Amino acid sequence: MDNTVSNGCSQVNYDADNIFLPKQVKILKVRDTTPMERHFTLRYMDGSKMLFEPGQILEVSLFGYGEIPIGLASSPTRENSFDIVIRTVGRVSSAINRLHEGDSLYIRGPYGNGFKLDKLREHPILVVAGGIGLCPTRSLIQYILDRREEFSGFTLFYGTRDPSQQLFVDDLSHWRASQDVDLFETVDKADEAWQGHIGVITELFNQVSISSDTRVVICGPPIMFKFVIRELDKIGISHDNIFVDLERRMKCAVGKCGHCQINDKYVCTDGPVFSLSDIINLEEAL
Amino acid sequence: MSAYFIENADFPSFISQLIQKLPVIAPVAKEHLFSFEELSSEEQLRLDYDVTILPPKKVFFPPQQIILRFNEGKFEGTVSPRKQVLFGVHPYDIKAIDQTDFLYTEKYEDINYTAYRNATTLVGSNIQKVAKRAFWGSISHDVVAKGQDAFLTKLNSEGYLFEVFSEKGKELLAWGKFKAASDIQIRTARNINEDIKAQCPENIPYDKEEMARTIRHSFKNTKLWDDLAQDCFSCGSCNTTCPTCYCFNIEDSWNIDQKSGQRTRYWDSCMTIDFAKISSGGGHSENFRETKGERMRHRIMRKMVYLNEKLGTQACVGCGRCSISCTADIADPVHIVERIMEYSHG
Repeated sequence: MDNTVSNGCSQVNYDADNIFLPKQVKILKVRDTTPMERHFTLRYMDGSKMLFEPGQILEVSLFGYGEIPIGLASSPTRENSFDIVIRTVGRVSSAINRLHEGDSLYIRGPYGNGFKLDKLREHPILVVAGGIGLCPTRSLIQYILDRREEFSGFTLFYGTRDPSQQLFVDDLSHWRASQDVDLFETVDKADEAWQGHIGVITELFNQVSISSDTRVVICGPPIMFKFVIRELDKIGISHDNIFVDLERRMKCAVGKCGHCQINDKYVCTDGPVFSLSDIINLEEAL
Repeated sequence: MSAYFIENADFPSFISQLIQKLPVIAPVAKEHLFSFEELSSEEQLRLDYDVTILPPKKVFFPPQQIILRFNEGKFEGTVSPRKQVLFGVHPYDIKAIDQTDFLYTEKYEDINYTAYRNATTLVGSNIQKVAKRAFWGSISHDVVAKGQDAFLTKLNSEGYLFEVFSEKGKELLAWGKFKAASDIQIRTARNINEDIKAQCPENIPYDKEEMARTIRHSFKNTKLWDDLAQDCFSCGSCNTTCPTCYCFNIEDSWNIDQKSGQRTRYWDSCMTIDFAKISSGGGHSENFRETKGERMRHRIMRKMVYLNEKLGTQACVGCGRCSISCTADIADPVHIVERIMEYSHG
């Protein structure tokens, strides 16, 4: 018996089938968005287009630092590039946020299930985004705006701690002026320049009437979900029509490493977008 | 399946021949305990072991495994399996390997596991000595071990029955003086493997479905879980020694040149404090299983409930390693399940 494993004629190349090997991408553009976040526009080195759905995630890495799960922040309807936003939190994100245009990143993915577009079409849509929750939902927002005729009424709630935390300020000013989306904004704490609403995001439900047949997408800090769902329950929106985008410690994104498990579900492969009815009874979900 | 017989006198030369041909990983003595190690001589082999310190999963899923190497932006995978034999694996560990095989190929196949698994000839052996906290005789007793290429049963003083289940198993016949087994020998081996089940010192006597249902219903009984986990040190030994635990973390490290390095996966433990913790920046963090009770509940749910549908059985094979390794002696699934069942039935 031969003491090596071969396919008969040459050594097997396992790299092609190795789910943990990333692909190199080039940073086309970097923008400072807030004191904590930077916005990257990326493209595969060979210029090919990445196919993905709004709401899917990537594992983004920098060799020597590590890998982190990040939601795609642009729509697949846009150019031959895609966006991510990195908040400076730990070792990996800090290192990525020191990069410049022309530098490389390494990605795996896309992974997981995105926003259920088929269930959103032809119904009024409400997107509730808190803080950095605007990143994955921006993918959906752009998608809806690019294919506006496929969708019905579109309302967006966006809340941040203070005005300096607002992401995508260019987009926000565009959306404020747009007839295609009704944008309502709030901050927990205002500065002198802030003209808008002050208070928690659920107060925005007093500013506009949301009908009970609305399809709702929620993405934000864990604490926000419960309060927003309480408002939606008052309106009588079915939990089948509420979609939540969950954040967990997704180390592998392929349903193996166990970190993102909620009961018998893996957030990386069963989510990160779930219909509320699928997870409302999973005790560790919300 | 075809069955062969090898006499006691011929057995050592079979093992020594095998060692000369292929790396053979098998149970050996480690002070007063046992461990799966690569054999350098047939005398090291201890088929009379009760249970090994670590389960044989380490052969395909090592405690630390480099999954890629990088050098200034270039990178490559590290998968390079060798043909090898994993020898003397008890049926409960074979069941665990079979489960892990499924979980590592489900949806996404992880070649960092399967390439090593596929290059390995898995030879089981009958349990000659029962470990002091074993309960494999009752849990998943209706599940037949599968995934082994061959299985060896010691027939008292005469010799061994060697059952072959695959081509890989058949290849081993070339290295020993095997002859066709008689019907009596086959029947004797079956009885030996059946009778040993009654000798486990511990027992989970409940119906599989009823047990899963009751444990699932106890989810919100915070007091019960907090009680069960009260003395937990959150050390993760119960996970590390578990043959069906397969969670991991991935981290990068630099070589001394600061240009090259590696991405490594490590065994990780859901019982440790930060397993489900995320940082959200600005000093904020969220731990989705913050208390010891929540983590204990997760471990037990994962062994007894969550994976049952996928696996067709519990993800616990009754080896008793967690019970032995737990410093506070609170990890024993037999005691935990007993407490839950008692509590739920008043």
